[in-house]
Amino acid sequence: MTISTAPVPEPVAADKPTRPARRPPRPGRAREWWLGAVLVLPALVLAVMFKVVPLIRGVITSTESSSGFGGSSFAGADNYTRMLDDPMVLTSFRNALLVVATLPVWIVLPLVLALLIHQRSPGWKFFRAVYFVPYTIAPIVVGIMFRQILAPDGPLNALLRTVGLEPLAIQWLNGRYSALFALVAVALWSFFGLGVMTYLAGLATIPEETLEAAYLDGAGFWRRLLSVVVPMLRPTVAYWSVLCASGVLIWLFPLIYALTQGGPGDATMLPEYLVFLTTFQFLDRGYGSAIGIALFVFVAVLSIFSVRHMFTEGTRKPR
Amino acid sequence: MIRRRLAAGVVAAGMAAAALLSGCGGDDASDGPVTLKVLTWEPGGTEYWKQVKTSFEASHPDIKLDMQSVPFDKYPEVQGPYITSQSGPDVMANNAGLELFDRRGAYVPLGDKAAEINKDLVTYSGACEGFDTAKPCYGVPFSYQGNVLYYNKSILTAAGLDPEKPPATWTEFSAACEAVKKAGKTCLALGLSGTFPAYWDFPEIARSYLSEDDIRGLLAGTLSWKDPKLVAVLEKLAEITTKGWANSNAPSITMLPDGADIFQRGDAAFAGTIISDAVNWEAFGKALGDDKLGVTRWPAAEPTAALAQKFSGIEGAVYGVTKWSEKKDAGLEFITWLAGKENGELWVKHAKGQPLNKNVDKALLPSSPAFQKIQELVAEPTLHAGVMLSGPEADALARGWQQVSLGQLTVDKWAEQMQQALERSPTKKQGN
Repeated sequence: MTISTAPVPEPVAADKPTRPARRPPRPGRAREWWLGAVLVLPALVLAVMFKVVPLIRGVITSTESSSGFGGSSFAGADNYTRMLDDPMVLTSFRNALLVVATLPVWIVLPLVLALLIHQRSPGWKFFRAVYFVPYTIAPIVVGIMFRQILAPDGPLNALLRTVGLEPLAIQWLNGRYSALFALVAVALWSFFGLGVMTYLAGLATIPEETLEAAYLDGAGFWRRLLSVVVPMLRPTVAYWSVLCASGVLIWLFPLIYALTQGGPGDATMLPEYLVFLTTFQFLDRGYGSAIGIALFVFVAVLSIFSVRHMFTEGTRKPR
Repeated sequence: MIRRRLAAGVVAAGMAAAALLSGCGGDDASDGPVTLKVLTWEPGGTEYWKQVKTSFEASHPDIKLDMQSVPFDKYPEVQGPYITSQSGPDVMANNAGLELFDRRGAYVPLGDKAAEINKDLVTYSGACEGFDTAKPCYGVPFSYQGNVLYYNKSILTAAGLDPEKPPATWTEFSAACEAVKKAGKTCLALGLSGTFPAYWDFPEIARSYLSEDDIRGLLAGTLSWKDPKLVAVLEKLAEITTKGWANSNAPSITMLPDGADIFQRGDAAFAGTIISDAVNWEAFGKALGDDKLGVTRWPAAEPTAALAQKFSGIEGAVYGVTKWSEKKDAGLEFITWLAGKENGELWVKHAKGQPLNKNVDKALLPSSPAFQKIQELVAEPTLHAGVMLSGPEADALARGWQQVSLGQLTVDKWAEQMQQALERSPTKKQGN
């Protein structure tokens, strides 16, 4: 045993934690940081210019009372309290909730079709292209097209009558609920190709062997879908869910514009169309902005739940 | 030092260029032709506007026209940002009535010039405050507009009716519709998606119940929609669809082109549309044959009412000079020319529309029997109650009519909704 003769360092005071030794700065690190900042900056500037600034401007405008295109005055929360008594606003949000209730179809239908294509069902190459084609047609054109297709004497009803389904040949765009769900069905037809493509991209990440093994084990289509594909595809399903949750409330404008103009009555009136109507037809831009901000909050709340779900579900590793 | 000189040179060159450009942009005092930017939806068609540009520039070598043409249904969306930002075209178009009334803040009041323009026009009030030419006016019209009932003589004959004596009263119209239905045709071609039919048909029935003072009260927002006179108008509008006079798909189709197509195909006896550009006597005459096309006033619900035998007239498109324009004199020159005889004749010849200028050469007017009949009808004009409605009212009128047609709304509830729409109107509720 030896006794050190070196001077004993003074004990460190409990309230004075040792400062970790600073690493000598690496010249490459600062450069990387700047490079990252430069790469992020354009996106940040664009986001501020085209998202944050209009949003702030929208909030400010929503507190103004305006008359036509003339000047405006500060109205405080009047536009917001006015919404609570406006039957058209309440109907538009009730319609929005009905549209949101169709989300499961938006999420499941493209998944089923993507899986059928992925497992190379007969004609899969043809259908892969066909399903995506509607997404490439401008929604305003889709709306005009379906106005003809859904007409009482249009091709859809003619087909239904021909195949003996006469009772189903209704006036699609005239009913209180049939008009709204016809609108949603047209939107789904228009957008589900994007969902199929999204799911196909996700399916490409699942090893072929896994699906083959399930097939050899005797798992049928639905068993493979529910027990293999969906758990492994969680991040993709969650991503598509988020997109749809917000999309169903902000994708429909051109279709409403071309197909129903919010009618008959207020049957297909959705908040986004009401914003347009109030601002540009009624020239009440303060109130229009308030409805727009209410829609923003509505979509944000819906998306927050979906994003949270995506984060928890999407990042969970498959068992 | 060199850098400083270079910077100074760049600034000087920039200032020179700016000065040169502002000169080229041209205010009225600058040398060379002034270029007027005109925002239009080209009422009357492209060919007519080509003629406008060529003719105007030929007679005004100091003014060039730079036309920005926007589709009619997109026009408010393009015009709105120009007005809110107080920048853009020197001359813009609006429909007369509520549209111009709501947007009048964008235009220069015409002052004494209005009276000078007015003297040669059939009527001129929709571009003026309160439809009163003694008050400030904000624009110049060049076409005449209003609604009539077109009819297919062949269908009336097939239904056992006299095509030379179309129904003049509501009772006669009801009987005619029953006869037409028995003959297997639709009585009145109608499309209720959008505001047009409500906007057009309402004044034709309103003439049976409202006086001119009532119509002005409608504009001022002082006439309640729960007033029995207005409720009676709504009841008659409702009857058109609830009694099965119109096509059953009316609530979900538009009047233009869908409803008009039904009439042009020969599937309906009557169609209520307009007398100027878009779908009018000329289009229907081409489709059915001029000899098969008849035209009459809407049937009077109360034939003895003071305005029942008159025509609901209004200017078509109205052009005004924008407040922010730096070329106001040139703009005023152009819109004055638009209302003049020369342009009136171009309008008749190339746009096949009803002119507003009294001096248009009568020899140029079309010879179709329907057009000739329209000349008789428009001779006794009164105010057009449709254009007295604000945006929210026109919208509620259209949506309410759809709902009433589908049995989702009673007339009393419709009147309540109309009153709520009136109270929501930003221009009427604030007394502007």
